[in-house]
Amino acid sequence: MMKKKLDIVFSGVGGQGVVVLSDIFCEAAMLEDYDVTKAEIHGMAQRGGSIVAYARIGTKVESPLIETREADAIVGFEVLETARTLPMLKDNGTVIVNLKFISPSCQSGGVERKSMEELMELLKAKALVYEVDGTGIAQTLGNTLVVNTVLLGALSALPEIPLRAESFQQAIADRLNGKHIDLNLKAFQLGRECIQK
Amino acid sequence: MTSKIFAGKPGSYALLNGDEAVARGVAQAGIKVAAAYPGTPSTEILETLAKGAKDLGIYAEWSINEIVAVEVAAGASITGVRTLTAMKHVGSNVAADAIMTLAYTGIEGGLVIVVCDDPALHSSQNEQDTRYFAIHAKLPLLDAGNPQEALNMANEAYELSEKLRLPIILRMTTRVAHSKARVKLGEYQKLERRAEFDKDNVKWVMIPANASRQHRVLENKLLEAKKEAENSQFNKIEDNNADIGIIGSGVGYYYARSVLDATKFSWLKLGFIYPFPSELIKTFAAKVKKLIVIEELRPYIEENMARLKIDFIGKTELELEEIGEYTPDKIRTAFAKLYLTTKPKIPQQLNLPPRPPVLCPGCTHRAFYYALNMIHQSIHCENDKCTGCSVCEYACSFEKEGIFNPLKSRIRTTRINTTNLASACRACTDAPCVKACPKEALTQSKQTGLIKVDETKCVGCGWCIESCQYGALNLHPITHKPLICDTCNGSPKCVSLCPERALSLRGKSEDKIVTGDIGCYTLGVLPPIRAIQTCLCMGAGISQAAGMIHAGVKDKTFAVIGDSTFFHGGMPGLLNIAYNKANVCVIIMDNSTVAMTGHQPTPGSGKTVMGQNTKRINIEEITRAVGIEKVVSVDPYDLKTTIQALRETISYEGPSVIIAKRPCPLLNQRGLPREIKKGCGGCRVCTEAFGCPAISQPGTKAEIDTALCSGCGVCEKVCPFGAIGRKE
Repeated sequence: MMKKKLDIVFSGVGGQGVVVLSDIFCEAAMLEDYDVTKAEIHGMAQRGGSIVAYARIGTKVESPLIETREADAIVGFEVLETARTLPMLKDNGTVIVNLKFISPSCQSGGVERKSMEELMELLKAKALVYEVDGTGIAQTLGNTLVVNTVLLGALSALPEIPLRAESFQQAIADRLNGKHIDLNLKAFQLGRECIQK
Repeated sequence: MTSKIFAGKPGSYALLNGDEAVARGVAQAGIKVAAAYPGTPSTEILETLAKGAKDLGIYAEWSINEIVAVEVAAGASITGVRTLTAMKHVGSNVAADAIMTLAYTGIEGGLVIVVCDDPALHSSQNEQDTRYFAIHAKLPLLDAGNPQEALNMANEAYELSEKLRLPIILRMTTRVAHSKARVKLGEYQKLERRAEFDKDNVKWVMIPANASRQHRVLENKLLEAKKEAENSQFNKIEDNNADIGIIGSGVGYYYARSVLDATKFSWLKLGFIYPFPSELIKTFAAKVKKLIVIEELRPYIEENMARLKIDFIGKTELELEEIGEYTPDKIRTAFAKLYLTTKPKIPQQLNLPPRPPVLCPGCTHRAFYYALNMIHQSIHCENDKCTGCSVCEYACSFEKEGIFNPLKSRIRTTRINTTNLASACRACTDAPCVKACPKEALTQSKQTGLIKVDETKCVGCGWCIESCQYGALNLHPITHKPLICDTCNGSPKCVSLCPERALSLRGKSEDKIVTGDIGCYTLGVLPPIRAIQTCLCMGAGISQAAGMIHAGVKDKTFAVIGDSTFFHGGMPGLLNIAYNKANVCVIIMDNSTVAMTGHQPTPGSGKTVMGQNTKRINIEEITRAVGIEKVVSVDPYDLKTTIQALRETISYEGPSVIIAKRPCPLLNQRGLPREIKKGCGGCRVCTEAFGCPAISQPGTKAEIDTALCSGCGVCEKVCPFGAIGRKE
């Protein structure tokens, strides 16, 4: 049975790989004949600004943007950016958050800073939160660049995701074009286990 | 990925954004030449095409600006081959001169001009609406609302262009160009065309007699174009036998469909939008009782419907603005006003610190801006740290007078209520102490801003002391001559010996005029750098600075421009200041790439977009060739030399150029990351004056995020305590 509609928000900091991860998610959905749209904004500077991508899959999707409090899940690469997209999440939605905090630079515009613990509390008050130590897992695999694949694995294992693990694995292999496939598939599996545990 | 875009079989699906879809669409149409200038959100069109160009048999180029790109495309089209040019909305202003008359000459081979608008200003300087540009130029316009439409329109536009013998404008917005969707791919056309030019046809020569004739030809073509619009596959009615009909264009149409139950309304999606398909509108209006119009930016459809005297509900009643982009939430709010759907849910208010775009760690522009702000330096004291211990006074008097005597110090501690504070000369612009001296004994260096005392002229009257609002000047207890801080030649003893690390050497940005331009370096307007004060359009900075000089401003005037912007629109401005003798120092920030749009090659990088080696155009040679006599090249990472070069231009009269040359750090291997060693006093120079995003100060000491650090090492030179070094 195809799901009629599923909206996922991906958020992080420029340079973390938010756009690529959301692409692979969409490609996995396309392998199962889902209609797909995805909105992303390529920021002004190359690194260091907030990055958000909205991925929508369903039998037919027309708007590339998600409405407020309608997203089924958030995949956050960084704690503050995950919190920032919280208003997009539906009530009782799910959050996968990578346990990484990148303090914003000096331009906080007079807004009081929040610690990682405060931000985590904010998330937990609103959503079902899965904490993923993406960086830690990636380090055990000897390559810190596979954090996104760990997060993709975690996303794939959520009960609300209607896609098969094989579709994700296929989409990863297609995207990587033969390079580091084994390493990424391992990272994907470890990500899945974070949720299944 | 790129190979997939072009290799995908007809009928199969690919995940493409609007730009990639256009690239596939024009490739299917069999184009031979593509020319563009990078500009968000249109950049990926030519970038994608260039990657597949060899296999597709296409010639692709980054032209030096948009009008050149349109002229190249016009030339190619005259020979009978199909041609593409692409730009962002403001690029069409640059290209307007060529486009306006191209409408008169018409074309041979199909010519499509893609223009991407940027409602909500994701990365632009205005929100102009290209549909009105099409009216102005009298060129047919297709308006794509999603990537699938972008592909189909890009492909079909060539048939249309050759049928009408006119260039076609294909318009997208950021939400179309940068949204991805499942897109169905089409067939490639096999065209066998040889480039040939009909030299005898006078229609290519726009002398008045010919142009007047061609204007009539154009008007007739537009009548034909209107017929095409009335019957276009891109103007589609979906008749659901409903009372309310909704007319829309662009992505807003799709937001409307997703916030409403689409089956309960009738729909007219407009894609071929100029000339306006008025008969189709009338047909649709006859089917429904009420009409609602949904379109972003200006009320183009509305104005046309008003002309046709058809009633509709539009922006005014829906309270939808011409400003910004539409979102599903805004459209839902609008429809909820008419009781057609529920209101949007109220978002949670979080009040989190923002994370705006910043110059990257290791950015060469940050280093240069730091040097620019440090032309005039002075001692800065953090009041909350200063304990009033007077160590600075002892350090100063010993350094300068060889004695530990606070009375002979050039810095003074004071206590005001509960605040301690150390004051030294601030190197004020047009220093009041200099003006106050009746004997003209005080002079201020233009280059450094420092005050010098001519002791032979000074009579010890003390008026200078009275005039200083900071209480930073003192009279020597014995000689009665004023003691004024000279920053110990940039290495002040008081700073290095302050036990509380309350003192630091800071620069300032408000003592000079710095006009800006368009590129990553525009971010230099933001705190903590705050170095630039204008940004108008590509290449404007140099000429704006010249205008200020001719109007009579007294401040030293700098104009900052990037290398690609210089090639694009800065060269005429530079020639103009050389010719008209404007005392402007032009700073060319040469990082050898178009960094902001994703590192496209420039004429200075020695590579073409198709990967071929080419002549590396030398910026210094250009500046000398247009007549600039004072030209200096510096490495922006070398702060000392850069500050020195800047100071020298301050006392120079006449147009001058500083080229700050170092490749964008994102193109190079990272260096060894830095870390905070012993000795950090938490003075915040690295976070508040330099402002590298890899450095933060959550507590009393700075921290460096080694994952973000680029290893440029400039912070080492910025730190007054030598507390930063290579990570071990």
